[in-house]
Amino acid sequence: MKSILILALIALTLSSCVSVQEYDKINLSDPEMELAAKKIERFETNFQLYREGSSGANGGKTGGGCGCN
Amino acid sequence: MVVKLEEAVVVINMKKLTFIFVLFSVLNAFAQTQESDSLNTYKKRVLESTEIDFLMSYYNQEGDHAAVSGGIGSEKLIDITPTFVISVPLNSDDVLTVDAGISAYSSASSSNIDPFDSKDPANPYNESSGASMSDVWVNGNFGYSHSSDDRNQIIGANLSVASEFDYFSIGAGVNYTRLFNKKNTEVSVKANVFLDTWNPQYPIELREGFSNPDIVGPGVYNPFKFSEFDKLGRNSYSLSLSFSQILSKNLQASVFVDFVLQDGLLSTPHQRVYFQDQPDFFIDYFQLADDVERLPDSRFKVPIGTRINYFINERFTLRTYYRFYFDDWGVISNTINLELPFKITDKFTIYPIYRYYTQTAADYFAPYEMHTSTEEFYTSDYDLSQFHSNQLGFGFNYTDIFTSFNIWKLGLKSFDFRYGNYNRSDGLTANIFSVGFKFLLD
Repeated sequence: MKSILILALIALTLSSCVSVQEYDKINLSDPEMELAAKKIERFETNFQLYREGSSGANGGKTGGGCGCN
Repeated sequence: MVVKLEEAVVVINMKKLTFIFVLFSVLNAFAQTQESDSLNTYKKRVLESTEIDFLMSYYNQEGDHAAVSGGIGSEKLIDITPTFVISVPLNSDDVLTVDAGISAYSSASSSNIDPFDSKDPANPYNESSGASMSDVWVNGNFGYSHSSDDRNQIIGANLSVASEFDYFSIGAGVNYTRLFNKKNTEVSVKANVFLDTWNPQYPIELREGFSNPDIVGPGVYNPFKFSEFDKLGRNSYSLSLSFSQILSKNLQASVFVDFVLQDGLLSTPHQRVYFQDQPDFFIDYFQLADDVERLPDSRFKVPIGTRINYFINERFTLRTYYRFYFDDWGVISNTINLELPFKITDKFTIYPIYRYYTQTAADYFAPYEMHTSTEEFYTSDYDLSQFHSNQLGFGFNYTDIFTSFNIWKLGLKSFDFRYGNYNRSDGLTANIFSVGFKFLLD
């Protein structure tokens, strides 16, 4: 699992010189391509925060604000 | 004792409200400065008009491992959460966001804090119909963001307040985002702090003065391990780093990591524990607690996540998410989430959703009657047990960028619906329905 993450990091680092022009970003601008959880996902993230022992790294709360761990 | 605790909570809350007021004053002054700076130049606005989101969910769950009754008993829960999110452009560069919602719930867990306040015989597999069966969680979040003239830098701050019958929280955070490489690369850093306070609701049989003539068991009921928690605060500090990169005209990815430190009262004061080396006492069919859960007063958590989204063609997009998580309580987890949006027309999109989750147990978890009274830390909360879960669902989106459907001065920009069916390997099942409406104010 760690090796997958390391590979992903290396791939991202090596590709950091890629430069797509603004006029070529039409597909990347599609709402489904957004690199974040959708606003409506917040409720699912919230119940998962309560029902599972882990949280975070998804833009949601990482702790605090509720009696959950 | 109870009066002193309540006074302490009031004093702590007053200090926190003062802290919020000071932070808001600073943010307000900063916003006004930025506004005067950008009056003389034309720029495309970060947010063209006020956006109003109305979101709501309905959640229900069933299970037989309630933490409030020591790992046995009904986990039945129903939760409804209406929420408003309002984003207001203050000028070309600045946006103020107000996010407010409530969560109205009815649960066997909260009702069985006092299982003896009902006319029916007490039983962990039934929820009590008494006063403790339902409550409301109220939450408000206020955010502010400022974008630089070239839109390559964004700074922001937020404040949050949340309250429910046994918990009060305030939080504050700051964030900074930098874009470069012709906006192909984005780096963000975010820091948050939550300062929370418990108002503990101990199981009724552990409270001072409790007596009941119907207690059945060998000898006299004496939960000798139990004592009230003396520190009622819980603080959470998080630092989040993220890196996003456009990889091609159709592919982009991000990697993010959080470092989270929690300290204070991390146990949940109403969750019972039963020891295997102590005699069992009952009222009706309900076993009286030997103690409440005891967990360490600090926890360090590190989740590492990545998203990779691929624009397959005009019809299909692939959204992927993976998270690896570990903490110093022994929980290690892996999460995979996949979505495949399919555009039926330029306005309608549907997508299937699949999520797989697996975790190891916390070092302090053991099932019902498996802990011993000689242990220092213990819990029978199955949320900290070893399990895996599958969640299947689908979503639906309608987007009309021209907002042709109007209510008063509000034009409907989008409508979203999501459904998820969640199955945990310990038998817990849940369903969640979510809807969202986005309106633009004329």
